[in-house]
Amino acid sequence: MRGTFLLGLGFFLLTFGLSPSASADVAGAKKEGKVVVYGSLETGTVNILKKAFKERYGVDLEYWWSSSTKITDRITTEFRAGKQLFDVTLNHRPLLKIMKKEGIVGTLSSPAFKFFPPELVDPEVGPAYRHVIIGILYNQAYIKDEQAPKSYEDILNPKWKGKFVMADPTRHTTTIQWLANFHKIMGKERADRFIKGLGAQKPVLVDSITPAAQKILTGEVPIGFTFTKYIVIYGKEGAKLDYVKVDKMLGDGQYMGVSSKPPHPNAAQLFIDYFLSEEAMKVLADVGETVTRRGVYPALKDADKIKFVEFDELDEKGFAEKTQEYRKIFFQ
Amino acid sequence: MKGAVGFLGQPVYLLFAVSGIALAFLSLYPTFFLFYGSLRSTPIGVPGEFTWSNYIRVYSDPETYQLLANTLLFAAGASGLSVLLALVLAWITVRTNAPFRRMLELTAVVPNIMPSLLVAISWVLLLNPTNGIVNEFSRATLGIAPFNVYGLPGLIYVEALVLTPLAFLIIAAALRGMDPSLEESAKTLGSGEAGVAVRITFPLIRPAILAAASLNFVRAAETFDTPAIIALPARIEVFTTKIFREAIGSFPANHNLAATYGVGLLTLTLFFVYLYRRLTSQVERYATVTGKGFRPNLIDLRGWRYPASLAALLILVLMVILPILTLFLVSIMPYYQTPKWHILQNLTTRHYVSLLQDDRISRAFQNSLFLAVVGATLCIFFAAIISYLTVKTKIVGRGLLDSLAFIPWAFPGAALAIGILWAYINFPIPIYATVWILMVAYVTRFLPYGLRSVSSTIIQIQADLEEASATCGAGFFATLRRILIPLMRPGMVAGWVILATFFVREFSCSIFLYSPGAEPLGPLLYFYYQEGSFGAMAGVGVLITLLSVLMVIGARAFTRAEIAG
Repeated sequence: MRGTFLLGLGFFLLTFGLSPSASADVAGAKKEGKVVVYGSLETGTVNILKKAFKERYGVDLEYWWSSSTKITDRITTEFRAGKQLFDVTLNHRPLLKIMKKEGIVGTLSSPAFKFFPPELVDPEVGPAYRHVIIGILYNQAYIKDEQAPKSYEDILNPKWKGKFVMADPTRHTTTIQWLANFHKIMGKERADRFIKGLGAQKPVLVDSITPAAQKILTGEVPIGFTFTKYIVIYGKEGAKLDYVKVDKMLGDGQYMGVSSKPPHPNAAQLFIDYFLSEEAMKVLADVGETVTRRGVYPALKDADKIKFVEFDELDEKGFAEKTQEYRKIFFQ
Repeated sequence: MKGAVGFLGQPVYLLFAVSGIALAFLSLYPTFFLFYGSLRSTPIGVPGEFTWSNYIRVYSDPETYQLLANTLLFAAGASGLSVLLALVLAWITVRTNAPFRRMLELTAVVPNIMPSLLVAISWVLLLNPTNGIVNEFSRATLGIAPFNVYGLPGLIYVEALVLTPLAFLIIAAALRGMDPSLEESAKTLGSGEAGVAVRITFPLIRPAILAAASLNFVRAAETFDTPAIIALPARIEVFTTKIFREAIGSFPANHNLAATYGVGLLTLTLFFVYLYRRLTSQVERYATVTGKGFRPNLIDLRGWRYPASLAALLILVLMVILPILTLFLVSIMPYYQTPKWHILQNLTTRHYVSLLQDDRISRAFQNSLFLAVVGATLCIFFAAIISYLTVKTKIVGRGLLDSLAFIPWAFPGAALAIGILWAYINFPIPIYATVWILMVAYVTRFLPYGLRSVSSTIIQIQADLEEASATCGAGFFATLRRILIPLMRPGMVAGWVILATFFVREFSCSIFLYSPGAEPLGPLLYFYYQEGSFGAMAGVGVLITLLSVLMVIGARAFTRAEIAG
């Protein structure tokens, strides 16, 4: 009986692959030596994966961090110059879809897809391996819990005028989408009023969502809109941050894209498989990411109570129209 | 045909032809492509047609005039304030008997080697309205937090501090070179010290002041370092932030509009460079430097000696000491926040340790050192050849060479980068996305600085040495190798060090041209700032500053040894 069980277990492991590299040619990847990844996931998090990836496969992970917008611009310019230098990009879906249409990224595949809820797996760009949730975060060293807003509209109170931070909604694609989706959680009229109110409050605008978190962390602007995961990330360094618990929170699914002509094809596939493995997803969850792989749970307090609403996508025309609209609201 | 072969058969003419072509290519090729980009209907690498639509779009947009006004105000303010600070500092250290003036004079040059991006970041940490260190201190002692770096005054103030050393060098040189007899005559005729200063000294150095002001105006208008850190978050749009937004910071990127704004900025800086060159020719007309050996008299400040030193020290605290201390403090804090006692007890060296382990940092150091060593060497040799041809030969057309070499000087870094991007992205030799595109940009942009330092040495070399060499039967290259290069060496070494320190910290051009695999230190610092890795950023900043200081000390030691030898 025991022998049968062990045989069964062995068969299970072989079939479902605890080894994350079921589809990739490890020897080929080793020969290629490295994989080049452009992504918006924090360098600190990727550095943990990089070390493990190198130890496990002997393949270097060359990582370039930037905002999704800048990554897409760079990849597009490189493509048009006939130079595809990246293998894999960690990006968000609308930008990946635009690049897919132009033939810059190919179709992603990995045996690890089956470990993600099917409704989260896109046939072209694979699973939304994590949700990045945007909330109102505040630094408790500067703002007491009872002083903090209790709803989205509370941030429109004159006492916060010019005193909260957010990413520039005329430059940062995730923020453009985020604002454009507020109608999904508060209805169109209320959402329009809210966005106009935000503009009138003259928030401190930064390049993207990570610098917004930085300003909250350092206390330079102790409250603002950023990803909830920073509570965990900076909490590990001793910072005391919390978020405003509102009914519903908007967020973005994060996906992967593989270059249509990857310079290191085997290493690229190996990295995709590894990145979606339980081991890598646990690393992400541990630093506060809301990962979606079954059986891996995020470290953020009360994460299970968050009602997550995913953004609807904007196409290129939608981005252009919204950019113009927000330019009027935030800059005039 | 035979005549042409004969002409080029002479080494000096061959050299002239080769350097002329190389220089014309470096200067004109990106200029052409900047205009080309601004006149195309489609992005880089996509087939399209010629159009005026980019110009129509830019100049029918009221925002353009707002950003023009902002750029003019910012550049005028920063230039004016920098000249004022430099004037006070130069007068105290050169013309008075204030104590410690030599030390103060040396310190004034230090910010010239500190990356200005880091100066701006330090001032954000010191003067941001919520928890800037100065504001926090003021809040704790006086109950108010009066400063806000995020505004036009903050932008002007920080850029003025960045620009002061350059104005100081120009004004101090003018003060040092003055003929004291005019001042003495005024005194003999009964003028007091103040009267002499107002009626004699300042009118005499007025052209130098105006030259420094127009030069700093150009530098402020073209810089992206300070605006990247202060203007972008403060929503102040200047030309360089607009070019950045169009080329990199928005989706989809619009390199056509970036080029169109680049042409606008180039036109603006060309006008002020023209002004500067007119003023510097006046400096020569006003020259009171003659063959006579003299030193201007030192003004005895009596009881005001120490307050004067204190005033100079205060300016230096703002320019040098506070930014460096802030940077160092950030590099040893676990994560940046307002320094309080409990935080100061948890200081750490982990950012420095991680510098050694992070391969993105080591790659950037390798790239920047390669660019600094190879780039500065290429640039200085090229400058030496051009300088020799324009100063020492009578070849027809040498004036053209001089003018070509000065085109990049008027070229704002951001506009040059956009021109280079358009020019080299589909170039037959594939340098795009390699470190070589940066090399081309750096050599083109900084060649005028190399020329400046080499030509001042070449002018001093008497023609009879070359003639003697030729009489003894040495050919052109033998004379160059045995006579000219050894005599030019001090100027070349000084120029090399200046260029190498520029190249190590270059940002305004690199941010548009680098690629992830070939990233130099300037963009790395910016991205660490953006990503919020302040500790790593400050650690890298401290290392770059130390490296640059070491290079300058090494060059001084070398020059002294040469003179002694």
